Amino acid sequence: MSKEAGSSQKKTDVLQGTLDLMVLQTLAALGAMHGYGIARRIEQVSGSVLQLNEGTVYTALLRLQQQGSIASEWGVSDNNRRAKFYSITRSGRKQLARETKDWLRISEAIGRLLQLAAGR
Amino acid sequence: MNVYRRILSKLRHLLAPRGSEQDFDDEVDTHVAMLAGRFHAQGMTDEEAWRAARRQFGNTTSLKEARNEMQTFVWLATLWQDLRYGVRVLGKNKGFAAVAVLTLALGIGANTAIFSVVNAAILRPLPYPDPARLAILWGNVKRLRVERRGASYPDYRDWRDQSRSFEAMAAFDGAELALTGIPEPERIPCDYVSQPYFSLLGIHAALGRTFSPEEDRVPQRDAVVVLSDGAWKRRFGGDPGIIGRTIQLDWRTYTVIGVGPPGFHGLTDKAEAWIPFSMEGSATDLNDRGVVWFTVLARLKTGVSLTRAQAELDAISKNLAQAYPKTNEARGVEISPLNREMFGDLEAPLLVLLAAVAFVLLIASTNVANLMLARSEGRRHEMAMRAALGASGGRLVRQLVAESAVLGASGCLAGLVLAHYGIRALMAAGPLRFPNSVHPTIDAAVGLFTVLVCCVVSLALGLAPAAQLSTASFDEALKQSAVRSTGGRRGSRFRDALVVAEISLSLPLLIGAGLMIRTLQHLAALNPGYDPSHVVNFRVGLPRLKPSGAVNTNAARDAKPDAKVVVAANDILRTVSRLPSVESASIATDPPLSDSSAVYYTAEGQPPMNAQARPRAYFHRVSVDFFRTLHTRLLAGRLFTEDEVHRDANVAIVTQNMVMRFWPGEDPIGKRIKVGGLDSTRPWLTIAGVVSELKYRGLPENPTADPDLFQVFNERSRDFSVLVRTSLDPAAMLSTVRATLTETEPSILIYDAGTLEDSIGRETARSRFTGWLMAIFAGIALVLAMIGIYGVMAYSVSRRTREIGLRMALGAGRRDVLRMVARRGVSLVTLGMLLGTAAALALTRMMATLIYGVSSTDPLTFAGAVGLLAAVAAVACLLPAFRATRIDPVVALRDE
Repeated sequence: MSKEAGSSQKKTDVLQGTLDLMVLQTLAALGAMHGYGIARRIEQVSGSVLQLNEGTVYTALLRLQQQGSIASEWGVSDNNRRAKFYSITRSGRKQLARETKDWLRISEAIGRLLQLAAGR
Repeated sequence: MNVYRRILSKLRHLLAPRGSEQDFDDEVDTHVAMLAGRFHAQGMTDEEAWRAARRQFGNTTSLKEARNEMQTFVWLATLWQDLRYGVRVLGKNKGFAAVAVLTLALGIGANTAIFSVVNAAILRPLPYPDPARLAILWGNVKRLRVERRGASYPDYRDWRDQSRSFEAMAAFDGAELALTGIPEPERIPCDYVSQPYFSLLGIHAALGRTFSPEEDRVPQRDAVVVLSDGAWKRRFGGDPGIIGRTIQLDWRTYTVIGVGPPGFHGLTDKAEAWIPFSMEGSATDLNDRGVVWFTVLARLKTGVSLTRAQAELDAISKNLAQAYPKTNEARGVEISPLNREMFGDLEAPLLVLLAAVAFVLLIASTNVANLMLARSEGRRHEMAMRAALGASGGRLVRQLVAESAVLGASGCLAGLVLAHYGIRALMAAGPLRFPNSVHPTIDAAVGLFTVLVCCVVSLALGLAPAAQLSTASFDEALKQSAVRSTGGRRGSRFRDALVVAEISLSLPLLIGAGLMIRTLQHLAALNPGYDPSHVVNFRVGLPRLKPSGAVNTNAARDAKPDAKVVVAANDILRTVSRLPSVESASIATDPPLSDSSAVYYTAEGQPPMNAQARPRAYFHRVSVDFFRTLHTRLLAGRLFTEDEVHRDANVAIVTQNMVMRFWPGEDPIGKRIKVGGLDSTRPWLTIAGVVSELKYRGLPENPTADPDLFQVFNERSRDFSVLVRTSLDPAAMLSTVRATLTETEPSILIYDAGTLEDSIGRETARSRFTGWLMAIFAGIALVLAMIGIYGVMAYSVSRRTREIGLRMALGAGRRDVLRMVARRGVSLVTLGMLLGTAAALALTRMMATLIYGVSSTDPLTFAGAVGLLAAVAAVACLLPAFRATRIDPVVALRDE
């Protein structure tokens, strides 16, 4: 039982990092947005590949806010609801650039490796 | 900007946690509502839409928890929770908590106490501006080894005028003068100091002024004095009109020009008054390069290193030796930092003791770690349960650390209380005398030290069981009952390490204490060449009968014979001898272990010697009964006789060392010596007797191997010592003497009273101080180690009850069981002994200057310490082993 708990923990870890990256990219591309909007955007872009609990978006937002990568401000949504709008900060942009580069390098490497394996 | 905003947001959260939480709830609710609205728009019913929205959003509770964890200030709340839990857990285990706290308090208290002394004596800078640039200059002479002698006034002037390395220099010398001309005259310590002395130390007069350059000229015109704050208040009622008034010192009139700041007693640490240096000697003395006696205070210029200053002084000395070969051959200057001069003696004992208490603390912590480990084994079940209920690993570790922090903090508080009283006891009962400026207290630095030590100890104590926890497999622990679960391999290895640590930490302490105890034995058995027990000594100052203006302040040294005084000295001796219970009384210019001065001498028929080998002896004048009073052994010839009490009696008694040097194997009686060189006009002295070597100038050894030379006390002195051998209590004897003598002559001064045993005690204070404390620390270490080893062994036996029962059921005998349990203990103890011996070999080298009569690698002491520790360890190992043999296999196995 404890082993299962351990492995599921690992899976979320990977997802968390990726989610942070997606949230940052979304904010960088579209400007200030509230949590719901971010969730919609990720759903729209990724199609049905990424099924996520939308609550985890908030975990990512909290974490990023604590790191200082994003800032938040209360505002009013399109349908006149009070909502918190998040926007990327300068250090967030730097982080995004850095992590995007890392991500591409790693995924490229893994892709090559898998292609090699598939080609054999 | 970012950082600022983040801190602000955290602060806002801390200040208004409710509102912020509400905001977050709103944000989540809005999101879910928007999702539901979207699903509704896609055609779901209201209820379906909400359910789907909640599903898609996920678990809100865990989200909130994650958020709470993330908020910085929340950890404060959980820390508080953990601490409260720690207090509760420890409160439930009162016995465990008491033992652990007490053990830690002992270790921390001892460390704090010793560190506070180190802090006060070594770490805290001297109370003078820029003290690192202050140094003492010692005139020295190169003989068999370099000996410190002091400076002559002309040399001092040349050092001062020719050197470029120093801002200023000041000669100073401690003396004692009689404060007379007022009721209850007394001797007070007075320092002769050159004019720049006060400004060198950054001292300003609290009242009036200090000396002007004119007042320090040779020859001296005006007799002026600066009083200490203490003397001013005590003897002159703090009279603000004191400036300009006159006082009498040694029956000479001085004008008071200033009063020093409160608490200032100069570098001699006892001065009650200061007099210009030029008044210390006659103009002849101050112009004679051969008369050396004082030390010089100097301040280096900024940026000049000691080495550079030393090189410059070496060059000056070389020039002086060439210019004045007669007096300055082989003479040099040694420059020594002021703080080394003041505290150099204390450094070795304090550092040794600091190392010792550090070891005690390590042993104490090891014991507590062992206790915590045993307890955490017992709590595996509890921990597993907590983990199963959702506590994260980090949280469990934090909890363990919090528990040990509660222990550590309690130990720290109790330790501080112990240290507070310990410091007082140390200063009051310790034989070591510290300078006046040293007041060990628990100040900020000591507090910081203690808190740091506590943090390290707490962290280490908490992490030890936590490290074990991390390897533990919880479901195993849950399946088994708590009692049955055996500690993992790692746990038992950890406990093995604890045993090895206890042994290897205790051994150096025991060896150190052993070396000190052997030293104390040697010191106690030391024969100084005289019997110090029941000997009271005091100095007598006789008033000058006809005070005159043209006074030589050096009267004690070379006063002209004065018929009246002669009578007085003899009278005093006779009066004292006649007192009841006085066995024997005698007079000496200087008693053993006070300041003695040396002369060069020439032995008849010996070739002239160069400066390095020129014979030198310490010269004393003593009354006829002196050697009988001190029970000194006469080796050859005879003692002085009453007929020789006159100025032309040219006989001497010398110590064995002189005979060994010039007439080994010959009969020394009748040989002649003379004070000074061959060409000296002093009369030849015939050796009448030889006495055994005397430890007259220092214990356990005289600072130099020079012999002592005695002549009959010819009663010219107005200032001398009286030694009394009495069966009476020293204090009672002294008050009788005082009463009797002041009755005959009210203006007589009796001072520096004490017993010879006390004088000897002062000489050995450093060794005794270190010795007793080391013995106490080693004792604590031994007891702690025994408890610790016993704890580990008993615990491991209790864990193996079932296994032992099984072995016995299968036919193992009691002896087999005993051997099995003991073998593990023996191998651990042996390993510990080896490590401990290595550590001791490295550490006892620090003690070289403190031990006497033993080498720092004395095999006997090492063997003794190993033997004692082995015996204690054997008891601690065998008790549980014997208990193991009493295990009833039936009971042990039925328990299964």
